[in-house]
This record gives sequence, C-alpha cells and structure tokens, in this order.
Amino acid sequence: MIAVIPTAKPEGPLRPQERSLAPLGMTALLFRAVAVIALVVGLASFARAETPDAALAELLKQARTKVPAECTQPHIDRLIKILCAKKIRIGIRDYYPLFAERKGDKREGYEVDVALAIGRMLGVDVDFVRVNAANRIPLLAEDRIDLTIATMGHNTQRDGQARFIRPHYYRSETTVVGPRDLPVASMLDLPGRTVCVTVGNGSNAELVSQGARLMLFDEAGVLPDRLKDQTCTLAAQDDSFFAKYFTDEDFNARYFQKFGFAQVPWGMAVARQGSTELARALDLISQVFHRDGLFVDIGRLHNIRLGFLRQQQEVWRTPECNTDAGTANPKCILPPLNTALQPTSFAPDVNSFEQWVEDRTGIDLTLPMLKTMPAWSLFKDGVFYSLVLIAGALAATLAFALVLGWAMGSRTFLLRWPARLLTMALQSSPIVLTLVIAATIAHGLFALSTETVLGAAIAALGLTNGANAGQAIGEAMWSLRAEGAQGGLFGRALSRASTQIVAFLVNAAKGTPIASFIGAPELLSSLTDITSFSSGRITTYSILLIFYTSVVMVVVWLCGRLKHTLEHRQAAA
Amino acid sequence: MNELRELLSSDFLPRFLAGMAVNFEIAAIALVIGLVLGLLLAAGRLSGGLVTAVTVSIISLMRAAPTFVVMFFLLNAIPRDATLFGSPFVLSGVMTVALSLVPYSAAYVADAGVDSIRHLRAGATHGAFLFLPNVTRAFFVMVMSSSAGAAIGVTEGITVILRQAEQLPSFDDRLVLFALGIVLFGIPLQAGFMLMSLFQRRFGRSTVEEEASA
Repeated sequence: MIAVIPTAKPEGPLRPQERSLAPLGMTALLFRAVAVIALVVGLASFARAETPDAALAELLKQARTKVPAECTQPHIDRLIKILCAKKIRIGIRDYYPLFAERKGDKREGYEVDVALAIGRMLGVDVDFVRVNAANRIPLLAEDRIDLTIATMGHNTQRDGQARFIRPHYYRSETTVVGPRDLPVASMLDLPGRTVCVTVGNGSNAELVSQGARLMLFDEAGVLPDRLKDQTCTLAAQDDSFFAKYFTDEDFNARYFQKFGFAQVPWGMAVARQGSTELARALDLISQVFHRDGLFVDIGRLHNIRLGFLRQQQEVWRTPECNTDAGTANPKCILPPLNTALQPTSFAPDVNSFEQWVEDRTGIDLTLPMLKTMPAWSLFKDGVFYSLVLIAGALAATLAFALVLGWAMGSRTFLLRWPARLLTMALQSSPIVLTLVIAATIAHGLFALSTETVLGAAIAALGLTNGANAGQAIGEAMWSLRAEGAQGGLFGRALSRASTQIVAFLVNAAKGTPIASFIGAPELLSSLTDITSFSSGRITTYSILLIFYTSVVMVVVWLCGRLKHTLEHRQAAA
Repeated sequence: MNELRELLSSDFLPRFLAGMAVNFEIAAIALVIGLVLGLLLAAGRLSGGLVTAVTVSIISLMRAAPTFVVMFFLLNAIPRDATLFGSPFVLSGVMTVALSLVPYSAAYVADAGVDSIRHLRAGATHGAFLFLPNVTRAFFVMVMSSSAGAAIGVTEGITVILRQAEQLPSFDDRLVLFALGIVLFGIPLQAGFMLMSLFQRRFGRSTVEEEASA
C-alpha cells in the first residue's frame, strides 16, 4: 500500500519528463486515480491498525473465522480453543484480600473483576479455577487453565516458565510496616533492627544487605497478629497484602507504612506453548484497559493503591505507546524484576552431588549456600566470623576471669567489692540482655559496623563467663589463704579453679551463636539470611548444628588439655 | 526520664511478671523432660560395656550442642505439616525453647545423677540428696537461658523489656530500664542460688559427717 505513494504527484503544469507520459492519455489518468484511491485506502487502514483497539478487533475477527471449523484441530492456539468453548478458564486465588477472595460461591476483588472484564472483551464466559502460589504456573503448562491472574510478580526467573502479559496489571512493592511512633523512615534506620518476613520473599536479601535482622515466618497471614502482640516491631511484606489491614481503623491508627522498596510488576500469564494469539489479544486488552482507565476504576472499587495504575494510564495515553506496537516498545512496558542470582562456578557439581545423595539414600539434600554467589559469600563470612567470635569469646573470658579473679581475691576492699558487685550483676542478667546492653553501649560510642557488633558480643560473652570463672579464682585464692598458703597464690588459685575456668570457657564457646541476636554476622545469622531467599532449610540448619557442636567439641578438647596443664602445675606445686 | 516514669507507671510490671512466668514455665518443662532423659542416660552410663560408651558419647554431644542453635534447628527442621501418631505436630514457641534446653538439662541431670547413684551405692544418703540442689541450680540457669526465646518472638521477661526499650528514645532511659531488668531477674535468681547454697552446705556438712561415720 505504501509503495504506491511515490506515484502520486501534486497537480500542476506538466514538466518535460512528464510530458513524455502524456501520450498515455486515459491509461495514465486511470493509473493515477487508482494510485490515489490506493493511497487513501492504505492510509485509512494504516491508521486503523495503529490503534490497539483495531488490532484487537482484527485479531479476534481473524480468530472467529476459524470457529467452528478448526475447533477439533490439534495444536490450535488457545484463543481459538477459548472461542470454540465460549469460555476462558482463569486461575485465581481464593484468599488474597482486596484482590481475590471467595465467600461461598461469590468471588470478589480487583483480579476477579479484571478477569470478568477480559471475558467480556473476548465475548466468552469466565470459569474460575482456584490456584495458589505453587501451582499457578504448572496449571498453565498442564492446560488446566488458560490464563492466570493470581498476584504473580513478573520476574526474570518466571519469564522462562510462562508468557507474561504486558502491560502489567498492577505493581506491588515490599513495604515495611511498624508502629506509627517508631522512628524508622528508610533502609538507613534498619541496621540492628529485627524485621519479620516470610520465608522465600525475594526482597529478604535486600533487607539483609542493609543490616536488618530477619525473623522468619512461613505465612504472611500471621504478620499482622505478630505486630499486634508485639512479637514483631517491624514487618515487611507486599503492600498489596497489607492493603486490607490498613482499611481497618484500629490497625491504621496504630501502624504506618514506613517505606517501600523492591517494586515488582504483577503480570497475568498464559502458557508459553500454544498461546501466541491469546497472549497477543491479552496484551492489547491490557493496553486498552490501562489507556481507558478501566484498571483504575476497578482498583478504586476495591480500595487498592492506585498510584501505579494512574501512572500507567498516563503512559498508555501517549501517542508513542497508544499503538498496536506499544506492547513491544521498551519505553512503554516495564521490565521484569531481575531476581537471578549469580551461580557459583561449582554450582553444577553441587547439583550433581545432591542428586547423587538422593539417588543412593533417598535424602533430599539441598545446599543453597554453595549454589549462588551471594549465598556462598554469606556462608564463607559466617564461618569466618563464627571462628573469630569463638576465639574472641575464649580470649575475653580468660582475660576477664584473670582480672576479676585477681580483684575478687584481693585483700583490698576497693578492688574486691566492685568486682563482686559486677559479677553479681552479670550473673543476674540473662545473656540476651547482657548482649543487648553491650550492643546499645557500643552503638552509643561507635559507628555501627561489623567490628563494633563483634566487639560488643565478645565483650558480653567474655564478661558473663569471665565473671563466673573469676569468682572461682577469687574463691580459690581465699581458700588457699585460709589454708595458710604463702607465695604464688594467684598461680595456685588458677590451678585450683581450673575445672570452673574450663567449664566457663566451654560455655563461652557454646554461647557464641546467641551473638546473632544483636546482629553479629556469624554462621547462624548467615544461614538464616540464606534460607530467607532460598530453599533447603532442613539441610541448612542441620549443617549449622553440626558445625557448632563440632567446634564446641574441639574447644572442649582444647580446654581439657588446658585443664590438664593447670592441674599438672598444681600437682607440681 | 519522663518516658521511663510513664512506662513504669503503666502496665509494664504486670507484663514483665507475666513474661517472667513464661521463663519459669520454659525451665520447668525443660527440667521435667531433662530429668526423664537424664536419669535414663545416667543409668545407661553406669550399666557398663557398650551401653556406657554409647551413653557417654550421647551425653558429650548433648553437652556440646549450643542451646541457641538447637532452638533454631527445631524451629526450622520440623516440617510445618509434621504429624505425630496421626495428629498434627506443631511446636509452639515456648515448647521450642523448652526443647532446645533439653540437651543441656538431660546432660546435667545425667552427670548429677551418676554422682548421686554412686553416693547411694556408697551408702552416703545425704550426698545422694545433693542431686536436688544441683538440679535446682540447673533450673535457675535454664530460667536465665530461656531468654533466648526473645529471638523467636516468645513473650518472656526479656522480650517485654526489649519491647519497652524500643519505645524509649533516650539512651539513658534504655540503660536504666535494662538495669531494672537485671534487678528484677536478679532477685529470684540470687535468692534461689542462696537457698541452694545453704541447702548444699547443710547437706555437704551432713555428707562429710556421714562419710566420716561410715
């Protein structure tokens, strides 16, 4: 059509070269008339094809011409199947407040109304099929549903499993919710604070990287209750999840969305195989819904946040995007969230090993800490910091034991009583509280860093255990004096208190994992972080238990040697 | 300081005491289970042969297992859909903390139990009775250790203090609150230890006399 345009010339006197065509007479005139008609028709049809509405109408018209002739044919596109069956099977959730809820036979929510609107556009009935997070993609591949509209974030990982419809019909973000008067406004306020999250949430890794401690839950449904009973001070979850709770006056009066991050577009999706025309039709429908504000209207009806939908309406109203090619224009559509984690160089070997173990033992071994670079890095750091912490705690315990033991065994009142009071206070303070106090003081004095937290943890563990061991040394000194011992009193007291010293050294090593409570990046913290964004919790925590038990047993053995040396000295004395 | 005064005049103390009752509850559960397991282990350790070797290994492992790690292991390793004798088996937070203390409790009871049985065999009844103050000492240690529950959201005494501390903007106020927590935890603990020392001294004297007369 466009190819005829150069033949259409403006009216006017004939130029020399044109004059040569004059003898053609009526033939040329006829040719020109045909060219003009073709131009007009061509331009008209070009203009019509540029709008998504026209493209959709044309696509549906073409599809309908194949009904019913091709209905029995194998390998027809799902769009034809839907038109043949006069119904579309849409996977939808049963309980996701404001988005899709089932109350008896009635379904309601933003996604439900979007599904019904799509059915109307296609001129077919809607059959709802219940789906959940685990089966919403497999059911597409198994041809048990045609389309899923089920609060599904569009990420690079899922891109390979289903064909996502663009433009996206919603966008959520992870929101951090906490009491209104809690001074938290951004990620910068999170270091050292505990945030309640659900296992497997893609945004957990970002919270971890910002220094937050995570408390893991299996179900998002428990988070509001844990906020109310103060188990959680802060909770992070999709804003779409919290949307319903903020419609509750009491909840809204007490809690506030502190900030949001990790925005993820939500996509409807169809199967990757045999759905080319259906996907195209849905792309165009979604585009029209955005441009005409239908998504905004439905969203308003269900009290969901409209910011994204309004912004998208503006985008799809622009001439650049409001074309039949708009859904392929990177300036109009949003990219999927990139969730791919860089694998380690030995990840394939780890996978083979897991498979080998499963084949031979039936044990479902999963080693997430070895498969991706972020997890591997966390794991290595965790092991390193655990060993640093254990060595530090042992050294601090010994140092405090010697100092406090010497002070408590002193004849000077000014040395003895402060040491005794400190010991009594430390004995009366549960280790968790001692750690928190140490961390609070450290944060008050120094800038927050890994070294600060480790230092605070080492000091707390050393003081707690060193005070007890010191008490034993002090008591040994007094008992030696009572026995009339002269000279080398301190050394002999050490030998006499060797059993207690060793017991509290072992106790210090055993207590190191509790340092994770104040954010020390030891192995327990690292593995908790790893499991928050990957699978394999059972294996992971089994490895953790084996690691710490083995390390403590090594410490017990080393302390046994120390005790033997001290006792040998006493015997020699 | 005003915030702290307001805090103390509010319902903090009742909530703290309720939280502390949870600490005692956790320790009691751990002790009961530990007594059963520990006495079985003690009997196994004294039975001789292979059983002794196996029991000694088990006790060593239990002694080496860090409570905090055991707690997270229990929390994460038990599937949410686990069943026991056909019924759903879901551990509450309190039970998770209590069970995490069982390795310590059982190992301690086993050690004290072995000493006690040896005293009994030697005819030193009073020496055998030292088992009671020793176990009570372990109970108080577990009351303190149960504060680990704060890490998994169990509302025990330390959790109450930490939640209150988060509401206090002043650094000094928080330190005063922590000091108050030490005092409140320290009173029953020091009283308990004092009582046990008196008991132990009394029985210790009796034991020496008993052994001397034997």
